Amino acid sequence: MTPEQPAMLAMLQAQHMREVLKERAESLAQVGEEASAVETVGLLLFRLGEEWYAVGIDRVREILNEYEVTRIPRVPDFILGVINVRGEIVSVTDIATLMRVPSRTEVDLDGVLPSAVIVANESCVSAIVVDEIGDIVDVPVDSLEPPLSTLDKTQGEYIAGSVYIDARLIGIANLDKVLEPIGENG
Amino acid sequence: MVEFDRSAFIAKFQEEATDLLQRLNEGIINLEADPADRPLIDQWLRDAHTLKGSSRMVGLMEISDIAHRMEDVMVKVRDGEMTYTPEMSDLFFEALDTVVFLSENAGKPAADEHDLDDLMSRMVELATSGVAAPGSAPAAAAPAPAKADAAAADPADQGDAADEEQDAEDLDVEEEDGPAHEAASAGDGPVRAQREETLKAKTQATVRIRTSQVDRLLNLVSEVVISQIKDQQRVRDLRAVATLGTEVHSMWGRLKSMLGLLPPEEQGAFVDDVRLLDELFAEQRKMLNGIVKEYADDSSRTSTVVADLQEHAMELRMLPVSTVFSTFPRAMRDLARQYKKDVDLIIEGGDTELDKKVLEEINDPLVHIMRNAVDHGIEPAADRVAAGKPAKGTIRLSARQEGDHIVIEIADDGAGIDPDKVRAAAVRKGYITESEAKSLSDREARYLIFEKGFSTAAIITELSGRGVGMDVVREFVVERLKGSLDVTSELGQGSRFRLTIPLTLAIIRALLLRVSGQTFALPTSSIEETLRVEPGEVIKVEGREVIRRQKRTIPLVQLRDILGLDAVAVPGTGEKIPIATLGFSGHRLGLVVDEFVGEQQIVIKTLGSHLRRVDNTAGVTILGAGEVVPILNVPDLMANGRQMTGMRSRRSGVVKEKEAGPRRVLICEDSFTTRELERSIFEAAGYAVETATDGAQGLAKLREGLNPDAVVTDVQMPNMTGFELTRAVKSDDLLKDIPVIIVTSLERDEEKAEGIEAGADAYITKSVFNQDTLLDTVERLIG
Repeated sequence: MTPEQPAMLAMLQAQHMREVLKERAESLAQVGEEASAVETVGLLLFRLGEEWYAVGIDRVREILNEYEVTRIPRVPDFILGVINVRGEIVSVTDIATLMRVPSRTEVDLDGVLPSAVIVANESCVSAIVVDEIGDIVDVPVDSLEPPLSTLDKTQGEYIAGSVYIDARLIGIANLDKVLEPIGENG
Repeated sequence: MVEFDRSAFIAKFQEEATDLLQRLNEGIINLEADPADRPLIDQWLRDAHTLKGSSRMVGLMEISDIAHRMEDVMVKVRDGEMTYTPEMSDLFFEALDTVVFLSENAGKPAADEHDLDDLMSRMVELATSGVAAPGSAPAAAAPAPAKADAAAADPADQGDAADEEQDAEDLDVEEEDGPAHEAASAGDGPVRAQREETLKAKTQATVRIRTSQVDRLLNLVSEVVISQIKDQQRVRDLRAVATLGTEVHSMWGRLKSMLGLLPPEEQGAFVDDVRLLDELFAEQRKMLNGIVKEYADDSSRTSTVVADLQEHAMELRMLPVSTVFSTFPRAMRDLARQYKKDVDLIIEGGDTELDKKVLEEINDPLVHIMRNAVDHGIEPAADRVAAGKPAKGTIRLSARQEGDHIVIEIADDGAGIDPDKVRAAAVRKGYITESEAKSLSDREARYLIFEKGFSTAAIITELSGRGVGMDVVREFVVERLKGSLDVTSELGQGSRFRLTIPLTLAIIRALLLRVSGQTFALPTSSIEETLRVEPGEVIKVEGREVIRRQKRTIPLVQLRDILGLDAVAVPGTGEKIPIATLGFSGHRLGLVVDEFVGEQQIVIKTLGSHLRRVDNTAGVTILGAGEVVPILNVPDLMANGRQMTGMRSRRSGVVKEKEAGPRRVLICEDSFTTRELERSIFEAAGYAVETATDGAQGLAKLREGLNPDAVVTDVQMPNMTGFELTRAVKSDDLLKDIPVIIVTSLERDEEKAEGIEAGADAYITKSVFNQDTLLDTVERLIG
């Protein structure tokens, strides 16, 4: 949990913010983030085909609705190309292809592109293309479960865990796997 | 990758040592307060161990020895065999001070060697006076946090320490021409004091900035440059609007005068509107022209400033080449000794400035070329005299700026490169066929030395013939530095390597071209010609398409085929075909594209942190309009293009080796430490490792069908020696194709000869052994 994370959530969830502020006020003497009694984690939901997935909000840099992809030849099929984000070159990952999520419309680079979420870990940044951006939710850390054992191996690698939200099972993307550098060893 | 040239790393070692020494000193101070602080002792030991390993790596044996002694004492303190006393602190401080001095003087011994000996003996005394019996002190060594890189702590090269010391003594006589650079060459007392003074005076005028800060600044500057380019595009657009306005105005003028010709009674109705419109047009035109002019003036003023900004920002990273060159006299000395040659190194143009990033990359290729020059170029003194040349060879290293490039030349007055020998070796090794060899010009033949794994030597030793070197040179110069490489040579007169390197890596000239509806940038430095040929000029030879240019046949390949793009709107048959011919390391290739767009300067950007390496694409650039354009990687295009045209049949397998599962290596070694060290090196590099404790066991495993990709063996082992094993392997029809690499402490020429005679593919001595040498060698042999 980064320090600015509660603030980000708060912007979108005013009520939650008030709670946090209240708790903070009550425990001003305490140190920083110990304020919330239950440890929670913020998740950004997104849809791929018929299924819903999530990434940790602390890994999300920004959401793009309009962007222009430049194709790069001879890259794996799940790399759509690169985009220019204010001077920084960022790869575009077709996460559905990567995770083998079925029943999804083909991405047409010349047509209207679906939304993309720029995600980052310590070493890599990429924009992942999703069918629909969902809510940002705050779930207790305790409610996170290991990935379903029924997932096949290739798919399972890309899922770090799962969580039930409103009786819906949501897979949490394993970003370290999704963001594995490409072509490092030649 | 430079395994022998330890001196080149001294500056890096000094940086590291400064930190370590600081911590070690602080550690002693803290230990005095709390001698039982176990974590502190452990940290201290780790630091001392690192110091020992690093100093050994750069050949500063005295420092390594001192660190070793310090470790001995501290291990006993840690294990409770000794109690920490203030006297120990004194000795430790004295030892650390000596290390500081040795480090700053790059190994040159303190004023009096006796001091050093005295210090050492006092430390040994301290280490032994505790519990252990005298003489067995070193046994306490190596409590070592299991770090494999500790330079193969083999007592065998202890003897070298004395030699190294001698070397160091003579080190600094040459090359005082780079006063700007750091400690590498400081003299004794008075000289040193003077240097400190000048340093002091200098610091007032300089600010130390982290390279990362400069890089961030440069990134921002290149963004400014890009937006300035966009701005100028907008000026052009605005001018076009103003021109349109002028046309509208003149047409209006004609219309107005035609209206004036109408009879007055018919004009009456709209005469006022005409006058008003006329005024509005004039006003609009005046305003527009005013704005365009001011905007254009502002923009051109800004562009001057931006150009200056960019230039000065780039200069921030410029350093004189002497920062790299200054390590060469020592390197050359070591080389000359290794090869038993007598060589003078002359350095010219050390104050030529280069981008720091380029400088960081330039050291290795230069060292490789110099090694090559000493090994293959300069003849033994007797041969030289017989040929009427001075007994002592000369290697001349020079740097100069030519336009926006730096030219670095390494010239020797040795035997020269015999193109016939190179041709013969290339045929022998299967790079080219007999007939291809004949068709190569001498210049092209010489270029073969830059092929991967190429060597004219019959056996690999750590010194040369490993085929590691010249291809590395090519990789660095062409692929990483976007420069070009040329070699000229005259038999009996010597060879001259010429490296042309762009001043900076950030900006290059590139040809923009289109293929399959997408724009790409092709670095101009590798383009020989751009042509538009008639379809009739394309000839089919043995199923390949080629064109003839100046009596040469150039194979053609469709760029879109290399890039795997779909054909889009093939140009009409009557039209000329645009072809860019590439010249790269002696080969030529014609790339067929759809259209040339034009040439311009581009700012190079990487593909981002996610796409680390993509075949055929070196990076991207952002054009004025914000369009992102991939920059093509010429070496990749050449390799892939040649493969597609069938010019490159043999080496193509290398790319696919990954899919064949992990490579296996069999290690035969009776020493547990060495075996495990080698095992960890190979396992870290992704190999599957099998081990055997002697030659007989190794041979048994091989005969049981182990079938590894390579065998790495020691020489002196019980039951069956490495030589015997090698002979057995090489005389067995089933096993003889497995490369055998001998790793040994035997260094004498006769022993090497025995290894060669036994049929070993490579011979590495432990004294220069490090993980790169071993891995490189094995990979060359397998690859």
